Amino acid sequence: MGIQERILEILVNNKPGVLARVAGVFGRLGYNIESLCVAETISPEISRITSITNADSDFIEKVKKQLSRLVDVIEVTELLPGQSAQREMILIGISLDQKNRQEVLQTVGMFDCKIISMRNNYCIIQVAGSREDVGTVISFLGPLGVDKIARTGVLALQQAKE
Amino acid sequence: METTGADILIHTLEEEGVDVIFGYPGANSLPIHDSLIKSPIRHYLVRHEQAAAHAADGYARATGKVGVCLATSGPGATNLVTGIATAYMDSTPLIVLTGQVTTGLLGSDAFQETDIIGITMPITKHSYLISDPCDIASTVKEAFYIARSGRPGPVLIDLPRDVMAASCEYSDAKEVPSRVKPRSEGKKDAEQLKKIAAYLNRAERPVLLIGGGVKLAQACDGLSELIEKGRIPFVSTMMGIGSVCASNGFNLGFIGTHGNELANRIVHDSDFILTIGARFSDRSTSIVEEFAPLATIAQIDIDSSSIGKVVKTDISLVGDIREALAKLTPLVEEKERREWLGRIEREKKAQGQDTSRDECGPAGVFIKDVQAAMPEETTVVTDVGLNQIWTVRSWETKTPRGMITPGGLGTMGFGLPAAIGVQMGVPDHTVVVFSGDGGFFMNIQELATVSCYRIPIKIVVFNNGHLGMIRQIQDLFYGARFCDIDLGGKVDLVAVARGFGIEADRVAVGDAAAGIEKMAAAKGPFLLEVMVDPDNYVYPIIPPGRSNIDMMGGRQG
Repeated sequence: MGIQERILEILVNNKPGVLARVAGVFGRLGYNIESLCVAETISPEISRITSITNADSDFIEKVKKQLSRLVDVIEVTELLPGQSAQREMILIGISLDQKNRQEVLQTVGMFDCKIISMRNNYCIIQVAGSREDVGTVISFLGPLGVDKIARTGVLALQQAKE
Repeated sequence: METTGADILIHTLEEEGVDVIFGYPGANSLPIHDSLIKSPIRHYLVRHEQAAAHAADGYARATGKVGVCLATSGPGATNLVTGIATAYMDSTPLIVLTGQVTTGLLGSDAFQETDIIGITMPITKHSYLISDPCDIASTVKEAFYIARSGRPGPVLIDLPRDVMAASCEYSDAKEVPSRVKPRSEGKKDAEQLKKIAAYLNRAERPVLLIGGGVKLAQACDGLSELIEKGRIPFVSTMMGIGSVCASNGFNLGFIGTHGNELANRIVHDSDFILTIGARFSDRSTSIVEEFAPLATIAQIDIDSSSIGKVVKTDISLVGDIREALAKLTPLVEEKERREWLGRIEREKKAQGQDTSRDECGPAGVFIKDVQAAMPEETTVVTDVGLNQIWTVRSWETKTPRGMITPGGLGTMGFGLPAAIGVQMGVPDHTVVVFSGDGGFFMNIQELATVSCYRIPIKIVVFNNGHLGMIRQIQDLFYGARFCDIDLGGKVDLVAVARGFGIEADRVAVGDAAAGIEKMAAAKGPFLLEVMVDPDNYVYPIIPPGRSNIDMMGGRQG
């Protein structure tokens, strides 16, 4: 397979320095981590890292093996297209004025977003959902004068087999 | 029992069977040295921390035990980096102990502070920063386990001074925690072994490719059995040399950039290659696309990330080599292989007559003379460059730990300090180290260590006044545009050695008998400076960007 988006789920021991080692494997191979989510799982000693990188299948095989040999990496799985449920949350900061106010509020309503903060006409909008929906909201609001975006990056969990 | 963190550290090292540490103290490692005084563990003071790492590495390679080195924080720790990387590349089990600033000062750019864990992350198998003295025993035990298990490698333990000085109620460490996971066997392995055996039995032109992993797995006897039973010719990478005695009839030599032609040609023409414990480094494969174009390739290695990393592997088995060979050999049939072995014999004879293409020149002859003058139980150590290739090609390595060379990283300056570690590890062996003048200068200060402890190593320095290997490359591939390789020829190495209190002599490479005899008879350390013509190169050599069969022969000057 050629270069495409690859999602890796990496289970690691929750210890200082583990993330640095994992990131180092990607960096050393010259690849960029496009998205990264990491937090404790239901066991506090174990964390789940969900990472996205753009690469071909040779690279992914290499990176999986090199991650697996790290002492604190428990398991590495590539989440293939269609195998996982994926979500993302973003916070969008946008200043409201006469020109954009109505459209922004309409968009918020249309896509079921939440305004979680409003001060001095600067509102922060929370958008959570599938990656496609999040992307659509960004494309709607973008031209309306978005000031900042903070993204969690893609979260994914493997679905059960049929 | 109330003890300090440092006491617990030393006690755990003793329990792990450590009897030697190579190190250099500093303010932030003093509590450790203070505890070391009371211990039976012997500390050898080097003159540069890089040498401590190389010595620990040499010790580990010579004995199969885990080597231990100790440095202080900041510059002491950073001076270890090249030595750690050398051990990492050749998979040597090493424990690297570094002092560190007190925990409260971490991250504040304190005096002699560096983030050594961050710096060495890509070149260590694992590392620890200890923040609680009560964690020391279990951490050190786990560190040793990691260093020596699976594919061995260096593990660094960073030890803040206050943690070393703090007290802790000591209790014996528990079993190594299960998070360090051993690999589980699978049914798949049995299938792979059957496939490999089938190929070995059916192949017309099979070859075994032996890497450093066989020695690390202590699988040399099993390998010999496989070779004898299947009558399979074998080649080695540089790190695999010695796995089987060099004089074994099925030995074709070593492959790659500086290997011998026969080995490279046979691999090129083979139809099945079983690679054992080798990682297909670019030094052995040259142009990957042109490597062994006719062969089905099988690979057995303990590290799955080495499989298929460089060369496409058709059959692979991830696991312990010794166990794999024990299961494989019974499945392999005894075969005469008259045609294949007959052809190889003919090529061997033909090559033997054509000395212009396979030469290390007068230096090679000299090395053979040195070996003849030394006892059977001799370990040879090399530095890097022409001296390394001459030695690897000319010295007949009879035992797995008989030749020690930094193949993976190619670290100049490795030889002298590593030889110190080797001699400490095998005190009843004769230890000979071959260096070039270039590499010798890099850790020349260790002559003081040698002299101080009267370490009876035999130090041979080939002096051609230049960085010889680079000179050869510039001569052949850069249109003889020599630059930045002239070492000046003003240094009298014999006077230098005598200045360090070491007996020394100088000979010309072609007239060395008296010097060799003196060196062989010396009871203490001895340095022999061997004057060599800068045009004494090593042949054959593969030009950069060419494949393993495009070897270039040449005349010796």
